[in-house]
Amino acid sequence: MAQIPRREFLKAGTAALAGATLSALGLGSITASAEGVIAEKQVFVYTCPVCGKQFSDFEKLKAHFTGAHQELELPKTVTFRINNVEYDVFVEDHWTLREALIRAIGLTGNAKQMCDRGGCGSCTVLIDGKPALSCSTLAVECEGKSIETSEGIAADPEYRPLLEAYVRNDTAQCGYCTPAQFTMAKYILNKYEFAPTEEQIRLELSGNICRCGTYARHVKAITEAAAEMKGGK
Amino acid sequence: MRPFKHIQASTIEEAAALAAHEDVMVIAGGTDLLGTLKDECLPYYPNYIVDLKTIPGLASIEEQGDEIVIGALAKLQDIADSELVRTHAQALAEACSRAASPTIRQMGTLGGNICQMHRCWYFRCPDNRFVCARKGGKECYAYKGDNRYHSILGIEGGCLAASSHDTAPALAALGATIVTTAREIPAEEFFAANGLRSNILENGELVKKVRVPKTANSRFEKFALRKSIDFPLVNCAVAEDAAHQVHIVLGACYPSPKRMTEAEEAVKGGITEASAQAAGDAAVSKVMVLSKNEYKVEIARTLVKRTLLRLINE
Repeated sequence: MAQIPRREFLKAGTAALAGATLSALGLGSITASAEGVIAEKQVFVYTCPVCGKQFSDFEKLKAHFTGAHQELELPKTVTFRINNVEYDVFVEDHWTLREALIRAIGLTGNAKQMCDRGGCGSCTVLIDGKPALSCSTLAVECEGKSIETSEGIAADPEYRPLLEAYVRNDTAQCGYCTPAQFTMAKYILNKYEFAPTEEQIRLELSGNICRCGTYARHVKAITEAAAEMKGGK
Repeated sequence: MRPFKHIQASTIEEAAALAAHEDVMVIAGGTDLLGTLKDECLPYYPNYIVDLKTIPGLASIEEQGDEIVIGALAKLQDIADSELVRTHAQALAEACSRAASPTIRQMGTLGGNICQMHRCWYFRCPDNRFVCARKGGKECYAYKGDNRYHSILGIEGGCLAASSHDTAPALAALGATIVTTAREIPAEEFFAANGLRSNILENGELVKKVRVPKTANSRFEKFALRKSIDFPLVNCAVAEDAAHQVHIVLGACYPSPKRMTEAEEAVKGGITEASAQAAGDAAVSKVMVLSKNEYKVEIARTLVKRTLLRLINE
């Protein structure tokens, strides 16, 4: 496995590092290293949305909430399966999946607020293997669904060639749209069985807008990764 | 978004009963609704959102005799990819594959696409700043204001907003029937512009499925500023019915998709290069251009001709 300089490492892969500070924003967060995003290594901290007290598991947070904040209605609990790890989190009915990802889970990679109206694709995640805009999906409607984000894909050893191709081709200029494009890249590789044509890649990525104009680099990166991964499969 | 309560419906009847209440809105794909709620562009804000996605059995695409029956919750991408639809209702498959962006097609449903609200920028201005004719106001602001994307075929109900659904002209040309919880409506009548809604649904009435008659020969064309993700400036669907009569429907040129009967007359004797040109001319023979949208006339003329020629050349 090639060593990738830290500076060039995708934001997506390191997003979880910010967990400790993000916990102040919401209900829970991942505190782990980039590699720790892989299931067994990660530590999840549950933070009370009212007083900020932290707990090691969801039941304790729930008990605390019903005890200490009796005057408030207990928020809805939703179970997500994010990057193959199950999380119980508190969400509000009107939260979009994007808000739940950043506020309740602490994953910033795909939780980008750009247009927030479904026009730019910066918040694309995979729900049950299909791309969906997390800004236009309600969190409560994702109960029990399997959600994949760029953090999970970046940490998946199987998709290491894709990550390396993305770094090698310098696909991130400002980097804001990159995690979503990277997530779409996994979908494209799977949909076209690791042999997408340029036309197919361009069609599938056409909903992901990049103001820096890195489109050609994504096509190159995905084509390279496809060639490498097809042989290895 | 401002808070609301979320309810998951288990049957369409239950959802329809809930939807009859004033402070309830329904959500399927959510790609249109959540944007309007974030912008707060409507005169009211719902206290409850009813999720239709939890209703089983409404997402199927089936063959039933001479018809294709498509559930209201069928995803646009699934319709575009369906071999059945591509063979027997090509215009609809093409319309679904050209609507919005690939990701939105994976989320958006057929029912949602035909029920979406118009995309006039006065109507959809955040914080409900323009109480326009479509919202029950006195004035259509596009008449004097910026109307580059508005109707070229006249005004309806005091409103100049152009219909923006891609599937609507295809369904109208194919002679589809919209089955709601209360009745069955021919597509052409269904899309009649009516106040806030882009269709004639009553309160508490929901689309259940769409019945599309099998049609051997039909095509759809769309012109938009960005090919990858955009609403149509003009779209056009043509279909040859069982009696070999050609139906031509123009979308995004009028508050509802409009059947071009004069253009249909022009190709009665068969489609040729010359008659397709004549049909294009006939389609835009009675236009009412506004200050900034005259350019759409030429696009409409060309699109009618182009779609007709695809019908005979492919």
